[in-house]
Amino acid sequence: MAEEIIAPLSGKIMAINITVGQEVEEDEEAVIIEAMKMETSIYVPCDGKIAEIKVKVGDEVEEDDVLAVIE
Amino acid sequence: MPAIYVPDGLSVLMYHHWIAVIYKRSTENKENEKYMRPYFEKMPDLGKELKKGQIKRSEEARQQFKDSEVEIEKEVDKVKNAGFSEEKINARGQMTVWQRLEYLIDPGTWSPLHTLFNPTDNEEGTTNVIDGIGKISGRWAVVIGFDNKVMAGAWLPGQSENILRVQDLAKRLNIPLVWLVNCSGAKLTEQEKFYANRRGAGTPFFRHAELEQLGIPVLAGIYGTNPAGGGYQAVSPTILFAHKDCNIAVGGAGIVSGMAPKGGFDLDSAEDLIEKSKHFKAKPPGAVSTHYDATGFFRYVYEEETGVLDGLKDFMTKIPAYDPEFFRVAEPAAPKFEQDDLYRLLPLDPKKVYDFDEILARLVDNSEHMEYRPDYGPEMYTGLVKIDGFLVGCIGNRQGYLGKGYPEYADYPGICGKLYRQGLIKMNEFVTQCGRDRVPVVWFQDTSGIDVGDIAERAELLGLGQSLVYSIQQTDVPMMLVLLRKGTAAAHYVLGGPTANRHNAFTIGTTASEIYVMHGETASVATYSRRLVKEKEAGRPLEPVIEKMNALADEYHQKSRPLFCAKTGMVDEIVPLDAVRKYLVAFAGSSYQNPKSICPQHHLMLPRIIKG
Repeated sequence: MAEEIIAPLSGKIMAINITVGQEVEEDEEAVIIEAMKMETSIYVPCDGKIAEIKVKVGDEVEEDDVLAVIE
Repeated sequence: MPAIYVPDGLSVLMYHHWIAVIYKRSTENKENEKYMRPYFEKMPDLGKELKKGQIKRSEEARQQFKDSEVEIEKEVDKVKNAGFSEEKINARGQMTVWQRLEYLIDPGTWSPLHTLFNPTDNEEGTTNVIDGIGKISGRWAVVIGFDNKVMAGAWLPGQSENILRVQDLAKRLNIPLVWLVNCSGAKLTEQEKFYANRRGAGTPFFRHAELEQLGIPVLAGIYGTNPAGGGYQAVSPTILFAHKDCNIAVGGAGIVSGMAPKGGFDLDSAEDLIEKSKHFKAKPPGAVSTHYDATGFFRYVYEEETGVLDGLKDFMTKIPAYDPEFFRVAEPAAPKFEQDDLYRLLPLDPKKVYDFDEILARLVDNSEHMEYRPDYGPEMYTGLVKIDGFLVGCIGNRQGYLGKGYPEYADYPGICGKLYRQGLIKMNEFVTQCGRDRVPVVWFQDTSGIDVGDIAERAELLGLGQSLVYSIQQTDVPMMLVLLRKGTAAAHYVLGGPTANRHNAFTIGTTASEIYVMHGETASVATYSRRLVKEKEAGRPLEPVIEKMNALADEYHQKSRPLFCAKTGMVDEIVPLDAVRKYLVAFAGSSYQNPKSICPQHHLMLPRIIKG
């Protein structure tokens, strides 16, 4: 069962704190998006393993874009 | 003989049952009488335990916050150690102002204010008065004392501004002002900076009269030599408690000896001065023999320094104060979560977002609240909370992204920290209701300003901001501001900031606090962007302008830091995060000690409006 990490708002990817293959726990900080001068942290929604990361630092993302996939 | 005849065993059982029932009912009734129980005894829960991941990733941020508090603590220690050492003062048979406060104030209640206030950058590092709110004999008072370690408690620049703030505080909270007078008069070499003027060293004497006319007593314990200004500091309060060695006078030895200058000094006048000085040192004017025995200005005289403080303690039991039970809506209760969590929840980095509701949950009784209009104006929290059993209104900036479709008037996304139309309308309503219900208000501020642009103008934000100023001004309840992080632009004014002179009792900041009209980088852009265009068009190098832009941004940074805010009085104290609740308790207790106006609990409208 794959779970997606979704961008809740549009902005620029400031940091990615996960790597493919990494075991993660719910509520770890996965990605930071900068929008309107504020940094918004995006957290891992469930325990699992990072299957795929779809963005890189500096990317502009839109709301609801998939940032990463957890399996 | 028992009062009730008990015929057999069954009746004995019944008898005990009845007694138990009657006792239980009477206890319940008592509680029913005390509280509007369905509303306040148990309010909805707020906040949740920190998650494992949250604790793990906040370890470093927590340590950074603690470290920043150590830096402020070092500055506080400098003020505490200003002037002569405690040993030296004690060797003269005197206590220091800090020792006097320690003896006078009920343990655990001292909430210092203005410790780092030094707006004129005095070389002494202090305005030379120490003040705060604390309980004396179980009752809240605003307390202020001269630092007798520094120039025997002299008047210094910035001091009258400090005193006026303290007097405003006593007026706003309607609680007694207690002085520890020990004032050698003006530091003569800097008299032009503070002696005269509208808010100069004489103004506090008029304020004492004003407080008395409002029915607010001013008590003064008096120590040491208090000539001239010191004499008025000592005589202007309501009741004077004198130490046996103190004196108060229109002029001291220095002034009396130096009367009628002849346009210069020569050998004869110098010899004359020496004689007079010797005499006045031996017998200063206005001692106890004069002002207790002859004039009777001193109501009491005490042999021991501690005796004066015991006298003040005794008198504090005689001042008007409601028993807290009169106004409490529930039994006091600590928050359900650890105070230390605050260090993991509030990021020092101003760009990081956080959950304000979780912070509030760590500050209010039993982590309970009643939120006002949670589905409207999501950028602002408004609601009722309990602090030490007292009902308090609370308004705070939320943080983070506001979700699709908000603000509803614009096609751009909204982010908390900014104020939008709904939040402004909601605050106007809430403040007005708090005024009507006589509920004191605590503001939590972390704002980047009010939404800007023509769309925001059409949404009436300029007008609604000033409407909030109007709404605050038409209430008459004490307010307090906790500046969690940013105070920016007009939002700093309208969110219960210190500019609300008549309402804001005091403002506390944290080591994350910063105050500026706009961020330094924004100010650099505003100041130099046109210049950049010009230079570019003229083909000149841009580096000199860029250097200036960086310099301005840096200057903004330096002049918005917590230490600067405390020194200049933009906040009244920088407080450790785990001490914020203590100040809330002092504020709530003081506000309800002797309020000028009362709303019966069963006539409060806010709880009904929230319930619907």
